[in-house]
Order: sequence, then C-alpha cells, then structure tokens
Amino acid sequence: MTWEAVPGFVEERETHDETTVVVARERLIEAALFARDELGFNFLSDITPTDYLGWNRERVAGYWGDARGRDINAPGSWGLQSQPEPKPKRFSLSYHLLRVESGAREAPRLRLQVWLDDGEPVPSSVAVWPTADWHEREAWDMMGIPFEGHPNLTRILMDEDWEGHPLRKDYPLGGEPVRFSGEE
Amino acid sequence: MRKRGPGAFERELGVEDLEDRLMLTTVEKAVAWAQGNSIWPDTFGLACCAMEMIAIVSPRYDVARFGAEVFRSSPRQADLLIVSGRVSHKMAGPLRQIYDQMLSPKWVIAMGACASSGGMFSNYAILQGVDKIVPVDVHVPGCPPRPEALLEGIVRLQEKIVAGVPPAYEIRGVAQ
Amino acid sequence: MAVAPEKAQIYAGTRIPSPIPTVLQVDPALREAGDILEVNFGPNHPSTHGVLRLVVELNGEQVVGLEAVVGYLHTGFEKNMEQKTWWKAITYPERIDYLSFQINELVFVLAIEKLLEVEPPPKATWMRMLLCELTRIHSHLIWLGTAALEIGAISMLWYCFRDRDAILDLFELVTGVRMHTRYFQAGGLAEDVPTGFYEECRKFADLMPKRIDEYEAILDRQQIWLERTKGIGLLSAEDAIALGQSGPVLRASGVDWDLRKVEPHLAYDQVDFAVPVYANGDVYDRYKVHMDEMRESTRIVQQALDGMPEGPWIVDDRKIVLPPRHELHTSMESLIHHFKLVTEGYRVPEGEVYVAVESARGELGCYLVSDGGPKPWRVKFRAPSFVALEATATCMSDALVADLIAIVGSLDTVMGEVDR
Repeated sequence: MTWEAVPGFVEERETHDETTVVVARERLIEAALFARDELGFNFLSDITPTDYLGWNRERVAGYWGDARGRDINAPGSWGLQSQPEPKPKRFSLSYHLLRVESGAREAPRLRLQVWLDDGEPVPSSVAVWPTADWHEREAWDMMGIPFEGHPNLTRILMDEDWEGHPLRKDYPLGGEPVRFSGEE
Repeated sequence: MRKRGPGAFERELGVEDLEDRLMLTTVEKAVAWAQGNSIWPDTFGLACCAMEMIAIVSPRYDVARFGAEVFRSSPRQADLLIVSGRVSHKMAGPLRQIYDQMLSPKWVIAMGACASSGGMFSNYAILQGVDKIVPVDVHVPGCPPRPEALLEGIVRLQEKIVAGVPPAYEIRGVAQ
Repeated sequence: MAVAPEKAQIYAGTRIPSPIPTVLQVDPALREAGDILEVNFGPNHPSTHGVLRLVVELNGEQVVGLEAVVGYLHTGFEKNMEQKTWWKAITYPERIDYLSFQINELVFVLAIEKLLEVEPPPKATWMRMLLCELTRIHSHLIWLGTAALEIGAISMLWYCFRDRDAILDLFELVTGVRMHTRYFQAGGLAEDVPTGFYEECRKFADLMPKRIDEYEAILDRQQIWLERTKGIGLLSAEDAIALGQSGPVLRASGVDWDLRKVEPHLAYDQVDFAVPVYANGDVYDRYKVHMDEMRESTRIVQQALDGMPEGPWIVDDRKIVLPPRHELHTSMESLIHHFKLVTEGYRVPEGEVYVAVESARGELGCYLVSDGGPKPWRVKFRAPSFVALEATATCMSDALVADLIAIVGSLDTVMGEVDR
C-alpha cells in the first residue's frame, strides 16, 4: 500500500505497528474522502488534538553539571530518556480511522495527522463521518482548534461562558494547593 | 375520689423517673426520633459513588432497616441529599438549585473523597469539596466508600438527629 | 475547504438528522402549526444514567426535537494525568468508566506497555483477561438492573445487584478493594493472585449461567417488556457505522464486529467464545446482546480458570518494576532501582500509540503520547459512551416520550466516560 496516493500527502511513519500519514491541512477533506471511499476506512474512532508547546525543552536524564561540579539543589536525574525531535508546529490533530466490515477478522487502522499553529482553522469532517461532530466540538472546547464548516461549534464539556481552553499546555491545572505538600 | 398530690403515684409504685419509663417525652424528642428513623434521600447520584449508593438499597446492605430506602426523585419530597460523586463547576449550579428546593429540615451527606474535598482531582474542573456550596452534616471518606461506610454515615446522621443536633445550615455556613 | 454536500453525502435512506447529526430539530412548519412543549430532562433525573441533560421538544407525546447536553461530570482527567508520573497516573483511568473500571485500566496499561515494548508474562495476561470478563459481567448486570428499573421492571435491580455483589467480593478477594481496584501494573499485575481465588471464581462461574437464565425467564416473554422494547429506538447498520457506534449497539444493528475477535488483545484468541449479533437494531436486540454477552463472558471466565498458566505475575525488568522485597536486603542494585522507581518513577520512550480494547460499551481507545519523560505528555481516552450519545438523535426520530428513557437506557452510557 503506497500512501503517497493520499491527497495532500506530506509524510508517512510506521511506528509500533501503526501507520501515521501526515497530510496538509488544506487538503484534509480530500484526504478524508479518499480514505473513506477508496481505502474503505468507514469508521472514525477518534479525533485527538495534542499541544506540543514546551516539547523538547526538558533535559535528558543524567548528570546535570559540568567538569567543575553541579548545583546540588537542582533535581538529579528526573529527565527524558533522549532528546526528542522537535515538532513542525504547535498542534497536531490525529484522526484515528478504522475499517469496519461485518464478519471481518482483521481491523486495518490508520492515523491521519495534520499539523497546525495556534488559530489555524481546519475544515470540518462532519459531512464525511457524522460522528466527527462531537469530537470536533471537544477539540474546539479543550484545545481551541477552530473547525470551519462545523454546523454547531459550541463548547461541549465546559460551561458555555468558560474562557480559555483547558487542555492547552499554557492553561494552569487549577485546583487548590494542598497544605503541607510544598505547593503553597 | 381521693385526691392525690404530685408525685403521689410515683411514691405508691416506689419508682422514680416515671416519666422516662412510661413513654412520656417531649414532642421535640419524639419528632427527632421520627425524623431520624425515616430519612428520605434524594436520588443525587453523580459518578462512581452512586454505584455504591445504589448498593445500599440492595438486599445485602439493605438501608431499609434504617428507614432510608425510599429514594425520592423530587427534592421537594426528600430530606437528605447524598452528594455521591465528583461535582464539576458546571454541575455546581444544579446542585445548589436542588439543595434550595429541598424543604427544611434537610441534611447533606458528602459521600466519598470527591464530594468531601475534591478527591484526587485537584484541577480546574472539579469543585474542591461540596461544602463550598452547601452546608454538610456528615462527610463519608472513601473512593468509593464501601456501602457499609455509607451506612455508618447514615447511622451517625441518625444519631445526630435523634440527639437533637440542628442540621448543618443552622450551625454553620459554607466553607470558604 | 468546505465539502460539497453531494460529494460527501453518506448514503440514501439515512435517518441521521441534518444539518447537525446529533441534534433532532423541529420541523419549522410544525413549530408554526403545532404546540411544541420544550421539556428539560435535567442533569438530576432518576432515569438518565447519571448527569445527562436532554432538552426535548414534544408535540403531544411525540418527540420532535432533541438535544443532549453533556459536560456535567467533566473531571479534567486528561490534564490531571499529564501531571502525574506513569505509575500514579494508572489510578485515574478507572474512574472514567466507573462500571467497567478494570477495562479502562487495561487500555491505559496496554498503551504504556506498547510504548515500553514489554510483554507481560502469560499468567498476567490470562488473569487480566479473567478480571476484564468479570468486569464486563459486572457492567452488564448494572446496566440490566438500571435499564429494567427505568422501564418499570423494578425487581431486576435487586437481583442484578445481588450478583454484582458476588463479583465485587471476587475483586475484593484478589485486589483488596471492591471497586476501582488499580490491580494492573505496567508489565503485569501488582501482586500475585491470592490462594482461594480460583475456587471462589469457579463457584461464581458455575452459578452465573443459571442466574442469567432466571433473568431471561423474567423478561424475555413478558408482554410489557416486549411492548416497551421491540421496535423502539431503531438504528440501521450503516447509520451505526457512520455514527461511530461500537460494542453492543453495533452488534444489535446487525454488524458482526467485536474487537476481541478482530484485533485480539490479551489471550482472546486462545479462548473460544461467540459474538452475539442481532439484526433489528432496536432496544430489545440490545438487551439480547447484553444477555448473550454475559453468557459468553462466563464461558471465557471458565476457560481462563482452566487454562490459567503458572509463573511470574509481572515482567522481570527492574527498570519499570519494583524488585521483590527480600532482595532489598542483599542487592545494592535492587535497592537503587527500588529507590529510583518509588521516588521518580520509570521513563517511557518517546512515541505515540493508539490502543483499543473492547469494553462493555464498545471500542475504548487510549491515545498516548510520551516525550521520553517520567510523565505522560498527552493521554486521550476514546470513550464509547461519548459516541453512543451522538446516536440519540437518530434513534429518537419517531419516538414517543415514554420510549425516550428506554432508548437512552439501551445505549448504555456512563456519564463519567462521556465527560471525562
């Protein structure tokens, strides 16, 4: 299966037995229709937005110092295993697709991914897979990704008059500081 | 008919505190006993704790022996609000509305860690303790509390009521 | 680019409302002519499973408009889990779908193991499968009890909760806690299976089929039950797939699709069980699918008990698993590993995975992104109930208000999952 035939193809990755095809944002709907009609991915499992703000900023675990010594007050080796590759843009939007056929005994899956900057709109795929309706509303509510052409883009999990998009990395966790835990 | 003075009957029987032995009591104590032994909870199940709350109605734990198996759906008919589960900020408004619709005297049990203090969810979405918006009489710890723990909470509430302790809204307000 | 509607129209004969697929809107002519009553089945309602709000518009007894409002139980799981180490984060997923709690833990732990590229030992795999099937029976029992209660068969609640307590006793025997057991660990199980569990579990598995027969005898040919469930809440197979349905709802619409058969995880390819499929797509068929699934799960439990392998219950990799306590007295490396794991936790290599398992409600997926650090970067749970509620508007076309409760009940939604 050569994935270059997908409209708007940018890149393909095969990791952990999963195929991820990155497509360009402008041609997402063509890619979605291609996936649904030509490749047979009739089932949209999930639309997941991910915020990569702050990615690649932490250091790798190990000795954090130089030849003269280290600051013993800096926490020791709490860090990453290896320096991750920087990501192309701030947000990634992953469409998890599946081919459902009654009686089949295998489940081909595909992840269609687009990369976005803050505020860049994405065309809505409600007409392609109706189940995308609430997934897109949740992506808008939690991450602030605007979907063009969505019939009802309103907040779904938070209050209608809530400000801010909670799952973004620059949104604070909230809650109360716990006494004696060092958080106060 | 021979007239008897006060205490004459007790002296004849040779008994003191006749009042306590002959089913005489004050109206308040009688009412408190009746209220305590027939608390009607409201169906306010939110999350996982609601499953254990339904379990107390089941045959093994049987809250009917404490008089509280009549879960009313309408807050106007309920005395007890068992807040069972995590309360999000979106749900806080309806929760207060339900509490306001209940007629006094009314009691609140905060069931579980999430209702008592926010539980493991110290974040933007969950109210850190339902006592911030309604006055709570009994907190029941656990995540979720076993049905026996909730029964213990109800029994302690019953003891409070029978002993004459006023409901929480009379003695304290909401936490800040 | 907006999609040209002719190009993207799914198929003729769909009952999915448009333009908004999840909202049934009142026909404007009817609004002018008729007398529409807007009723709010508010978040606190005895018959909506948990805090679901339905804004329903009625023309007499007929439902002509419906919108589901969710978010009353939004807990911020995903953001909270990003702040905890991998070990601590495993406590959270259980509370998402609080009826099939161990299956939630399973999907998260499987995703971590996929990124770590470790394979748990066979005993852990079989034990996980056994516990997940018990959880599935538990979830279906509660579903049956509460759905029947709402339709009016009140006695089912007491019978089902009696059996539910038997299952929770088994969980308490193995893990120490009734609900939210937190028994699965990355690499296997937290502790070995205690003695006495297998005998008790076998007693339960021998008893359960007779109980299911009892429940079917009460409900299957009961005239009121049949009238209130047959032909109600229809959902066709194409609509179900277009709306992303999975699990019992999809199987009741005639689609033979079960992730345990199609994408076997754990040891499902080594046990023999059937997948119940019914063709009518109404509430009665969903009920039948649930009942048959309980039977099949009991068969899996019996086979798991027969085929349970011996051996270690957790993988032997000291970088992710605590060493056994007796070694701490003699081995320096074990002490250091123990210290590091308890204070900082293990680190998971960088990557992104999507793992899906068959929960009691359908396809439960976990999308996990790791940056190579001690905490998850992004966790997203694909909740089947979230998607099931999207189908309410479609199932509800031509329904009466009395059927509303039966239909919402049959979709088997758990609000913790919907709102996360």
